[in-house]
Amino acid sequence: MNSEHQFSDGCERALNFERHINRIVIGQQAAVRNLTIAVFARGHVLLEGQVGVGKTTLLRTVAQGLGGRYQRIEGTIDLMPSDLVYYTYLDQDGRPRVDPGPLLKQGEELAVFFFNEINRARPQVHSLLLRVMAERAVGAFNREYRMPHMLVFADRNRVEREETFELPAAARDRFLMEINIAAPDDDAVLDQLMFDPRFHDVDALIEAMPESAIGYQNLNALGAAIQQRVQAAPALHKYALELWQATAQPQSYGISVSDVDIGQLLQSGASPRGMSYLIRAAKVRAWLEGRDSLWPEDLQAVYAPTMSHRLFLNPIYAYRREVLLPELVNQILQRIAAP
Amino acid sequence: MKRRRYLVKVSRLAALASAATLAAACAGGPSRPVEAFNLETPRPFGYQIGDTVPMRILVQTRPGVQLQAASLPKPGPLNRWLNLRRIELVEAGADAYRIDLEYQVFYAPLEVKALTIPGFALRFSQYGQTVEESVPPWQFTLAPLRELIARQDVDGEYLRPDQPPALLSTAGVRTNLALALMAAAVLGLKLARQYGYLPWFARRSPFKTAEKRLRRLAPAELAAGLAALHSAFNATYGAPVFGHRLPDFLRAHPEFGQIQSELVWFFDYSNRFFFAVQPDLASADCERLQKLCGWCRAIERGSR
Repeated sequence: MNSEHQFSDGCERALNFERHINRIVIGQQAAVRNLTIAVFARGHVLLEGQVGVGKTTLLRTVAQGLGGRYQRIEGTIDLMPSDLVYYTYLDQDGRPRVDPGPLLKQGEELAVFFFNEINRARPQVHSLLLRVMAERAVGAFNREYRMPHMLVFADRNRVEREETFELPAAARDRFLMEINIAAPDDDAVLDQLMFDPRFHDVDALIEAMPESAIGYQNLNALGAAIQQRVQAAPALHKYALELWQATAQPQSYGISVSDVDIGQLLQSGASPRGMSYLIRAAKVRAWLEGRDSLWPEDLQAVYAPTMSHRLFLNPIYAYRREVLLPELVNQILQRIAAP
Repeated sequence: MKRRRYLVKVSRLAALASAATLAAACAGGPSRPVEAFNLETPRPFGYQIGDTVPMRILVQTRPGVQLQAASLPKPGPLNRWLNLRRIELVEAGADAYRIDLEYQVFYAPLEVKALTIPGFALRFSQYGQTVEESVPPWQFTLAPLRELIARQDVDGEYLRPDQPPALLSTAGVRTNLALALMAAAVLGLKLARQYGYLPWFARRSPFKTAEKRLRRLAPAELAAGLAALHSAFNATYGAPVFGHRLPDFLRAHPEFGQIQSELVWFFDYSNRFFFAVQPDLASADCERLQKLCGWCRAIERGSR
C-alpha cells in the first residue's frame, strides 16, 4: 500500500515537474516530455539544435528543478581530461595548490553535470566521459570518486562543423536520448518569446523554477521502482524484438527509404544497450501515462529520441543523415504492426 | 450553150436544196416534244436462264415537257419467265432523262430460243396534253444449260447438285454479342470485387475476411479475433493502425468517422487485452467485436 501510494504520488510530482518546465521553456512540450522521461529513466541526455533555441536554458531549468549540486563546463578545443578532474593554482602564500575539478568538487551531491558544446572537446575528454557516464565514478588522487546521482546533460549545436570532434560511437551509445530542439513554430509562442520581458533575463527566469518535491537523491530508487513496477506482456516483447530486428535488417520488413539501397543503408543495427535503454525510457513513459503495463505507443513515443543517435549509416549515406534517419525511423514505426 | 445549161443545173440544185431545208425545218419543228430518244441494248444472244439483261433509255425533251413517272413499268414479274428487277429514273441534265432497267430471265429453253422483252410506252405531258413515245420490244436468244437428254457417265449424272444457298452475314450480330458479353463480364467482375467474392482481391475487402473469422469465434479465441480485426484495419490503412494514431487513420478514411467511439473502444480494449500484464477485462466481448466488424464491413462495402 505504501509503495502504491509512493508510486502514484511520484507520478503526480513528475508531471508537476514537467508542467513547471513547460512554463519556463515554452513551446518545447515534446522535448520537455523526453527530458522528463530521461530524468526518471536515469539516463544521460544529448541535446542538439540550432544556436539560441534554448538548449542551455532548458538544461539549466531541469538542473534547477532537480535540486542537488550542479556543475557545468564549456567544451573547447584545448580542454583536457585533467581539467575536469583537478585544477592547479598558486594560493595566497604563493604555494602551488591542487584542488578537485568540476567533476569532483561536489562529491556525491552532484546531480547534474552539464557539458556545453560537447563536440568542441577533444576525443580524450570524450573517453573520460565514457567512464563517468557508464559507471558514475572516476578515479583521481589515488582513490575512486563516486557520483551516484549524476546525470550528464550535454549539448552541441549543429551550425559549425569546423574545429569540432564528432562524438565517438561508444560515447553516443551511452546517452539515453538525443533530443533535437527546434525553434517553436507557434506564432503566439514566438511573439511571447520576443516581447515578454520575462524571457529576456535567463537567470531570473530559471530562478523561478521551483525545486521538485521528489529530491534528487530519491530518483535512483524511484527509477528502479518504475522499472520493476511497469511490466511488459509477451505480445509487447515480440513487438519490441521486431523493432530491434528492423534496425538490423530493414529490408526484410519491407522498409524502404527514397532512392536508397536499404540493404546498404545501415552499418549495423541498434546495440543491446540501446534496446534496453529504449525499454527503460518506454516504461517511464507508461508510468507518466498512469499505466503499469507497457503499450506499443510507449515504445513508439520514445523510439526516435532513443534510437536515432545509435544507428550508424554507411559513409556514402552519412552526409544525408539528417534526412534519411528520421525517414527510416518513421518507416520502421509505420511498418511494424502490434499485435 | 454549154454554159447556159450549167447555169440551169445550178439553179435547179439551189431550188432543191432550199426545198429540202424547208422540209427538214418543218419536220423537226416545235411539233415534236421528244427531241431525242435512244434505247441502248446489250448483245442479243448468249443468255442463259437466270441471266440479267441491262437496258438504258436516254431521252431528251423540249423544255416544258415532263416525263410521267407513272408510265414507267413497275419492278416485279412481267410475265411467266421475265422479271424486272430494278428500274431507276435519273434526271441527267436539263430536260434529259436516263432510265436504267434490269431484267432477269427465268426461261428454261430446250434449245436455243428467241425471246422478246415486251415494249412499253413512255408518256410525256406538255401543257395538259399527253404525248407517247413507245419503247420497242427487244428480241434476244436464250441458250439451254445442258443437253436435251442428260448423259450418265461413270460418276453418275454429270449434272452438279444445286449450289447451297449463301449464308447470311452474321458479322454485325457477332460483334454486338462480343461487346455485350465483354460489358457484362466487366460489370460482373466489378460487382464481384465490390462484394468481395474474388479472393485475390481480398486486400480490397479485408473486413470480409475478418467477419468470416469473427463469425465462428469462441470466447477462448479472443486473441485471434482481435488480431483478425487488427489486420483488417492495417490492410485498409496500408500501415499498422494504433490506437493513439487513430486520428491519422480517420483522416485517410473519413468514412470510419461515424463509428469513432467504437474504434476508440476497440483499440483500447485490444491494448488492454494484449499488453496489460493482468488484463482486467470483465468478459470476452465477442458480440461487440462482431457488431463492430459488421459496421466496418458495411462501411467498406459503401452501404453505410
